[in-house]
Parts: sequence; C-alpha cells; structure tokens
Amino acid sequence: MFTTFAKKSLAVLAVTGTAIAASMSPALAEYPEKPITMVIPLGAGGSHDLNARVITSIIPTYLEQAMIVRLTPGAGGQKGTQEVANAPADGYTLLFTHNYIDMLQQHVETLPYDPAEDFVTVARVNFAPIAVAVLADSPYQTMDDLIEASKADPGGIQMAHSGNWGALFVPAAQMMKSLGMEWNLVPYQGGGPALQALLSGDADVTMGFPSSLSSHIDAGTVRILATAGPERIYDDIPTFTEVGVEGDIGFMHRVVLAPADTPEDVLATLSEAFVALGEDRTFTRMMGRLGENIEIITGAEYDAMRAEQSVAYEALVADLTSQ
Amino acid sequence: MFEMFAEGFAMAMRLDTMALMSIGLFAGMLVGSLPGFTTLMAMAILLPISFFLEPIVGIPFLLGIYKGGIFGGSVPAILISMPGTGAAVATSRDGYKLTQQGKSRKALDMALFASVWGDTSSDMFTIIMMFPIAVLVMQFGPPELFAVLLMSLVIIAATSGSNPLKSLIMMMFGLWLSFIGTDPLGGVERFTFGLFELKSGIPLLPMLIGVFALPEVASVIIRNEKSRKLAALVGERLTFAEFRRCLKTICRSTAIGTGVGIVPGLGQIVAAMMGYSAAKNASDHPETFGEGELEGVAAAEAANNAVNGPTMVPLLTLGIPGDNVTAILLGAFVAQGLRPGPQLFEEQGATVFAILVAMVIANLLFLVIGYLSIPMFSRLVTIKTSILIPLVIMFAFAGTYVFRSDANDLLILVAFGVFGIIAKSARFDVMPMVMGFILGPSMEYAFGQTAAMSGGNPVGFFVTERIGALAVLLATPVIGYLLWKRLYGSPKTT
Repeated sequence: MFTTFAKKSLAVLAVTGTAIAASMSPALAEYPEKPITMVIPLGAGGSHDLNARVITSIIPTYLEQAMIVRLTPGAGGQKGTQEVANAPADGYTLLFTHNYIDMLQQHVETLPYDPAEDFVTVARVNFAPIAVAVLADSPYQTMDDLIEASKADPGGIQMAHSGNWGALFVPAAQMMKSLGMEWNLVPYQGGGPALQALLSGDADVTMGFPSSLSSHIDAGTVRILATAGPERIYDDIPTFTEVGVEGDIGFMHRVVLAPADTPEDVLATLSEAFVALGEDRTFTRMMGRLGENIEIITGAEYDAMRAEQSVAYEALVADLTSQ
Repeated sequence: MFEMFAEGFAMAMRLDTMALMSIGLFAGMLVGSLPGFTTLMAMAILLPISFFLEPIVGIPFLLGIYKGGIFGGSVPAILISMPGTGAAVATSRDGYKLTQQGKSRKALDMALFASVWGDTSSDMFTIIMMFPIAVLVMQFGPPELFAVLLMSLVIIAATSGSNPLKSLIMMMFGLWLSFIGTDPLGGVERFTFGLFELKSGIPLLPMLIGVFALPEVASVIIRNEKSRKLAALVGERLTFAEFRRCLKTICRSTAIGTGVGIVPGLGQIVAAMMGYSAAKNASDHPETFGEGELEGVAAAEAANNAVNGPTMVPLLTLGIPGDNVTAILLGAFVAQGLRPGPQLFEEQGATVFAILVAMVIANLLFLVIGYLSIPMFSRLVTIKTSILIPLVIMFAFAGTYVFRSDANDLLILVAFGVFGIIAKSARFDVMPMVMGFILGPSMEYAFGQTAAMSGGNPVGFFVTERIGALAVLLATPVIGYLLWKRLYGSPKTT
C-alpha cells in the first residue's frame, strides 16, 4: 500500500518539479510551460470541487504541467466567472463551471460579462441526469400519481430544491411548465439539505442526481419516479420523455471553458489532454466511484449545445418571471 | 454491533494510520495557524492524497488535518488577536488579554486541553448515541433553525459587552452588513450601491482581521510599548489546579457544543459563543471575562471542538454532509468506495467504527503534538515589538490577500480596521456585530424557507405545526431571565 502511495507521490512531485523547472527556463515556448489554474466559481466540498480534485490529480500526466484548483465562490458563480473572463487568453486560466451558471444566469440578471462572447469550450467532462425522488412510503407510487396530485392541488405539493435557478430548480421549473402543473418550490442550501428535507417529511418531492441518491435507493428509503433524458437509467423507471415532459432538460453538464481569444493550438493541446484523460484507467476508476460518468465532448461541438441551451433557458425564464 | 466495534477498534490500531494521522494533525495545525489559510482549503488540497491511501489510513489523515486546523486557528487568535475563522472569535477575547499579561503559554495550553477534552467527549458520545442523534437531527427543519438562531442572537446580544443596548446596536449593524449583497432566496441585489465587488457580500475573513487585529496594532503603536520585558512574556505552563478550576466550565461547554453540533446548520461559531456566554453567566465573577480569564478560553474552545462529533452523524447515517468539511469527507469516503448512507453500517460496519475510533485516537495524538509544539508558537510574542508589529501587519494583509486573491478585500480590511479603532475608543464591543454578520444570512435563509414552506405565512406555521414553536416557547423564559439578571441582577456586572 505504501509503495503505491509513494509511487504516486513521487510522480506528482516529479511533475511539479519539472513544472517549476520549466517555468523558470525562458526558452522552449511550447504550451504549457507553467502550471495551469482552473477556477471553480463555487465553494469547497461540492461535487464540482470533487470532480476537479480527481481531474487535477491525473491530468498532469497528459499536460506535463500541474493543474491548480482555485475556488472563487460568490454572487452565484459570477465572481469566479468574471475573473476568468478578464484573465489573459493564454490558456493558463480556465473555468470549471456548469450549464446553469454558464447559460441561464444571463437571462435572469445583468452580468458583468457575456458568456457567449467571452468563453469558448475546452471540454465537457461529464453530465449528470436528474431524477425525481419521493420517500419510499410516499402515496405517490408513480410519476403519474404525482402529476395527477399536483394538478389537483396547485402549489400544495412541497418540492425541495438546491437554490433558485440551480441544478434542481431548473428541471423542476421546466417540468412544471411542460406538464402544466404547479409545485411549491422551497429552496435549500444545496442538494444535501434538500434531500434531508425529503427524508424528514418537510418536502413531498425533491430531485437529485443518482450518484447522491444511490445509497438511499439501495436502502429502500427513497423511490425514484422518473429520470431525465430519452433513455432509461433504471429498467423499471420511466424517463422524462415517457411521462410527457418535452425538451432536453434535467442534465447538468460539467464544462471546462477558456477565455474566448485563446489561441487554437493551445485549445487543441488542452482538448487532447482531456480526451486522453477520459481514457485514463485511474481516472475512470475514480470517477466511477464518485458515481460520475465520463462523456468528453470538446470545442465547437459543445459550443453548439451551449447556444441551444441559451435559447431554451431564455424561454423558460421569460415564462416563469412573467407571471 | 459490538463485534463490529471490536473489529473496527483493532483496525484503527495501525502504525501507518497513526503516522498519517499525526502528519495530518501537524499539517493542519500549521495551516490553521496561518491567517488567510483555512482548514477547509488545506483539506480540499490534500484530499487527492487520500484517494491513493486505504480508507482506514486516508480518512483519518483528513480528520487529522481538520482537528489540527481548528486548534491552529486559535493560535493567532490568542497570540496576536487575529481570529482566522469565526470559531476562534470567542477565544481571541480572553486569550489575547492573557497574552498581553504575559501568559500566552497558559492560554495556549488551556485551549489545547479544553479542545481535546471537548472533542474526545463528544466523539465518544457520538459513537454511543449515533442512531438516537440521527433521529434528533431529522427533527430540525427551517422553522426550528430560525427559532434557535434567533435565540442565539438574543443571548449573545444580552450577554456580551458591557452595555446591552450598545451590544444590540452593534448586532443590528452586523445584521445589516450581512444583508449587503445578493438576497440568497430571491436573487435581488441589496445595498450594493451598484458595485459588482459587493454583489457577493462582504467577506468574513477581512472583516475579522480588520476589526480584531488592526485596533490592537494601533493601540500598541499609540501606547509606544518599547519597554516590554521580553523574557517574562511567554509565561508558565498551565498548572493542574488551574485546569481543575475550569473543569466544570469545560464540561458545560462540551455539553453545549455537542448539543449545537446536533442541530444542522448551527456550527462551531454559535457553539463557541454559547459556551462562552454560559460560562460567564454561571460565574461568580463575570467581570473578569474579557479581561484575561482562563475560563473564557476554556469555555470557547471546549464548545467549538465538541461540535465535531455530532456533525459526523448525518454524513455517516444519511450520507448528507452538514457543512463543507463533511462534504469533503463525503468525497473521500465515496472515492474509497464507501458510500455513506443508510446501508453503510451494514456493509462496512467495522471500517466505520475504525474511523470513529481513529477520531478519538486523533485527539490523544494531538494532545502530545500540541503540547510539544506550544512552546514554539508561544515564543512568537517574545519577538521585539518593533519587529512583531510590522510582522502582524504583514500577516493581516498577506492573510487577507491569500484568502481569495482579491485586492478589494484589502480595502475591506482597512475599512473594518478603522471601524474597529473607532468602536474601541467609543467602548462599543465589536463581537455582537461580528455575530450578527455571521448568523444573519442563515437566519434570513431559514426565515425565507419557512415562509416558502407555509405559502407566505411563517408566523402561523410556527405556532401551529412545528417544534419550532416549542423552541420559541422554551427560549422566551431563558432570554427573559438573562436580560433580567443582566439589568437588575448583580450590580457588580460591568
């Protein structure tokens, strides 16, 4: 055990060592020649932080440079995002964010940056599909039961979410809009407290990612009624599409973005490193344990998805705030 | 169950576990004692190391960093009046006065013993009462949290400072400061005067350093203390008699801290203040609190460390982290293939007990490591004033900047430094302001949630349905008694 640890530590040390040496020699201007900073516009200990720790502990193998995480929480993700928007477009400052901060906030308020103009995609690392969860002894056996009850008693069903315009709020709002029903949306400070509200009976329904719900599903304390997307995650549980929810909703995409003017070759180097990371065995094993998938999409392909998200979110926000 | 415990106990008795835990404790203590670096940052940065270790080695390593870091935070609070976290604010009050009296080593010793006592007792209580605590945790929803926070604020305002009215004014000011920024529920900007820099609110750390450390620097410069007797400044170690005198306070604070730890969302800051207030109220000589009272250090430190045990319960039994530290631990568990939650004890009972036992052992190891390193820390204040003061100023500015690399934070530091100097000369205590600032957002959030839950009628909801109502009913006589005692009770109270 100690030997593997020693090997890994030595590897990390070696990489850091060469990084420092390289950053001091002015010759050889091949990117990357110094450590890269990855800014997370969220707080410590969340799922982004965890994903980033796994990424940054392995990606130096492919970049031959250290990658350093900097947490810059504040103003719902805007503080860190602005920092990267203003950073030099040299590939040494990247942003690790998700689709709701990236593409939805601009429709809710005035931002000090333009997400579409100021950023380009390096890679989408993975995505998490949301699931609708109720307690195991809930009277709502199926999603149809829940929809029927919600329509019969508008605002009577308590739905716990993780904060306004966040990862659990947006799919709930989209579902309400699509199915023509109304829940009483109660905010909690994160997905954990929202789940606790469900468990303690304060809420009738919540949403969550299968990775964070799995232990409760196995223990039989929580029942899943539906999952996002057109394909089933659990054999016997319908998808959002099957229960009549329209549109590509309920996915949180974790993305690495770079300032818009970053040179093509730098972006290519970074994208290649992420693609290689996606096939790294240690990386896949660890992400598997975290319950995360690895679905790397790079550059322009995800930028097209961002544009689509923006249009859908604009319509959603207009619809919800016009009432 | 007992078999699992015995197996776990044996698992925890490993040399490499102890070694890594000691490294974690020492690293945590160093990082925690540097202003600007937080325990949370240290844990997050070192988290990947635990990925490559066995669960029974990697998780105790992180726990070591956590425990070392909490104690580390009280070191600058005691030595240079620079609390790096909210939890160390209550400690800085008497601790720094003791340092000024040349008793820094006594104060650090007391902080260490009280911390270890509080932590060990609450860990053992947690191991025994794990499942009843889990049931209790579930009873606390937003309405209850709001009631408890409101009660905490009133108790703090009523018991801290020399003048309850001045305390109340300062607390209101602190609450207002906490409203600056983006409304956590509605997302509306408030009191930002259109400045983006204020959109995420005023950061806590620059405020703490500004309002506590800079006025001390100013007063030393103004008084021009050149003639300090350097040799005498470190002082003696804590005697057993002094420890025994504080034992009752330590036990009371341990109970308070454990209770606070059970309520999700309260945390170490409330525990430290509650423990401190309770000790002051129970004392025959409350006037010595705030003037360099060893009991004050003991009360705050035992209470904030006693929070640690119960905060592990929601994580282990439900898989729900109650704060950022437990969220990082959750990550470490999951990356190890251990899924905290309802089935953890069935699937991995022995490992869980081993980790819990390791928590207790960590405290004992820390007793040794802390005891050996205190002389090194306490010597810091023997540096000549002409060097120490620039050093403190450097710590203040550098610490504020490393916190999140934002130059605007330096302006906030200076602004609160000036505010602290004015408040001090006008005999306004800044503690209630800081408490209002720290607790305000949680209280506002809980209130908003309660309103949302009840569809717009929070008051009716309290009185009819919840144990929140019970909490308010219980709090009223307690608060009434405290205020009455304060206003008409002992005339000695200064």
